[in-house]
Amino acid sequence: MLNKIWLALVAIGLVVAVGKDVNDEVRNTYRNGIPFEVQWEPKTPAPLGNRWEGNIVVSASAFNQFYGIVSQTEEVRQPATITVVHSGNDLVSLPASDASPALWRQISKSAATKEKLSATIAAKNAERKTISIVLEPIRFVKLKAVTQAALDFANTAVQLALGLIGVMALWLGLIKIAEEAGLVYLLTRLLRPITARLFPDVPADHPAIGAIIMNTAANMLGLNNAATPMGLKAMEELNKLSTKAGTATNAMVTFLAINTGGLILIPATAIAVRAASGSTNPGIIIGTTIFGAFCATAAGVVASKLFQRLPNYKKDLLPETVEKREPRHE
Amino acid sequence: MSELFRTVVNFISIIAIPLMIAAFLGWGFSKKVKVYEVFVEGAKEGFNTAVRIIPYLVAMLFAIGVFRESGAMDVLVSILSPATSFIGLPAEALPMALLRPLSGSGSLGLMTELMKTHGPDSFIGILVSTMYGSSETTFYVLAVYFGSVQVKNTRHAVPVGLIADLFGMLGALMICRMLFNV
Repeated sequence: MLNKIWLALVAIGLVVAVGKDVNDEVRNTYRNGIPFEVQWEPKTPAPLGNRWEGNIVVSASAFNQFYGIVSQTEEVRQPATITVVHSGNDLVSLPASDASPALWRQISKSAATKEKLSATIAAKNAERKTISIVLEPIRFVKLKAVTQAALDFANTAVQLALGLIGVMALWLGLIKIAEEAGLVYLLTRLLRPITARLFPDVPADHPAIGAIIMNTAANMLGLNNAATPMGLKAMEELNKLSTKAGTATNAMVTFLAINTGGLILIPATAIAVRAASGSTNPGIIIGTTIFGAFCATAAGVVASKLFQRLPNYKKDLLPETVEKREPRHE
Repeated sequence: MSELFRTVVNFISIIAIPLMIAAFLGWGFSKKVKVYEVFVEGAKEGFNTAVRIIPYLVAMLFAIGVFRESGAMDVLVSILSPATSFIGLPAEALPMALLRPLSGSGSLGLMTELMKTHGPDSFIGILVSTMYGSSETTFYVLAVYFGSVQVKNTRHAVPVGLIADLFGMLGALMICRMLFNV
C-alpha cells in the first residue's frame, strides 16, 4: 500500500508539473517575447554613467489585462535599473521584492538569475516616459519548482532526523531509569484494563505498554519533545515482540492509529495562530478539536482491528514460506 | 468552564516535564538504581535511532515535496470540491483536509493564510483551526515510527491512518457545523 501511495505521490507530482508547464507554453501564460508598455519613473533626470535607477509603474488593470489575470489589485511600482547599451537595446533588471507584483515574484524564482527578472527595452518614446519592455522568457516553472522541492525536502528530512538526537538521548536515558526502578511497570498495571483490550498481542506488563502510555499522555498534553522519544521507545519494544523483522505487527498499527489520531487536550499551535491573527476567542476550538481528534482516534483503532483480520494483511505476518534462495554466484 | 479547563491543562503541561524528571530520578534513587550509569546507557540509543530514521524520512518528505510543489493539490481540489461541498465542506477548507495528513508545516501555513483571509472567528477560520488539531501528520508519523524499527512492510497502517484522518476531518466538520454554522 505504501509502495503504491509513494509512487503515486511522485508520479502525480511529475505529471501535473509537466502538464502545467506545457499548458503555460501553449497559452504563453508568462507572455514570453511580447512587449509590455510601462511607465518609467526615474530617480535621477538622466542616467548616471550607463546605469539609471527608478521605478517601473503599471496600473493594476493594465497589468491584469496584459497577463489575463484578475489577481493584481494595487498599482505596480517595481524598482528597476536600466543599463544603457550603446549598440543595441537597453537592458532592465527587476529584482524581486515585496514591492513586486505577486506574479513577477513567483516567476522570478524560475528566472535565469534567481529572484531577479531581466528584460530588454524594445521601444521608448522621446522623453523615455513610456517604455516597452520584453521580459526574459520564463519556461518550465513547475518542473524547476519540483526539482528544487525534491532537493530541499531531502535536506529537511535529514535536519529533522538529526534534530531528534538530543531529545531522543535525554528521554531514552530518563525512561531507562524509570524502567530499572520499576516505575514503568507500575504505570502499566494501572491502565491494564484498557491496554489489554487495545493490545491483546502484547503481554500486559511488557515495557512496550509503559512506553505507549507515556507517549499517549505526552501527546495529550502537547509535549511533542517528550512524545516522540517515548513513541519510538514503544515501537522498539513492540518490535522485540515481532516474529518477522521488517513487517508491522497488529499492535504497531493500532499504536500508530492512536498516534495519528492525535488526541490532544489543548491544541496549542492552532490557538497561538488564532490569537496571532486577532481572534476574539482563540480557545473556542478546544472542545471541537478534542471531539475531532477523538473521532479520528476511535475510527483509527476500529479500522486497525478490522483490517488486521483481512486475509491479505494477515498473510504478511505468517512466517516466510519455505522458498529457499539459491546463493548467488557472481 | 472552558477557561478553567484550559488553565488547568496548561498548568499540567508546564509542570509535567520537571515533575517527570524529578519522579524518575527520585524513584530510581530510592530503588538504588545507579542513575547516572543507567541514564547514559539508555541515552546511547538516541543517536542510532535518529540516524536510522533518515532514509525513511527522506523518502517520504521528498515524495510529499514533489507532490506539493507541482500544484497537484489544486487539481485534486477542483476534482473533489463538487462532492465535498455536497456534505457542507466549504471549498476553501478542502485543501486543509487534503494537506493535513501529508505535511505539518504545509498545513500550518495554509491554516494561517486562511485565517488571515477569512478571519479567525469566521466559520472557515474556526473549521480549519479545528481540522488542524484533529489529526496528526500521518505520513510523517508513519515514516518516523516505522523507520526507527526498520519496518518496510507497513501492512494496513496506511489505510488505517487515512481512515483516522478522514474521520477526524468529518468529525471536525460535523461539530463545527453544529456549533458555529449560522
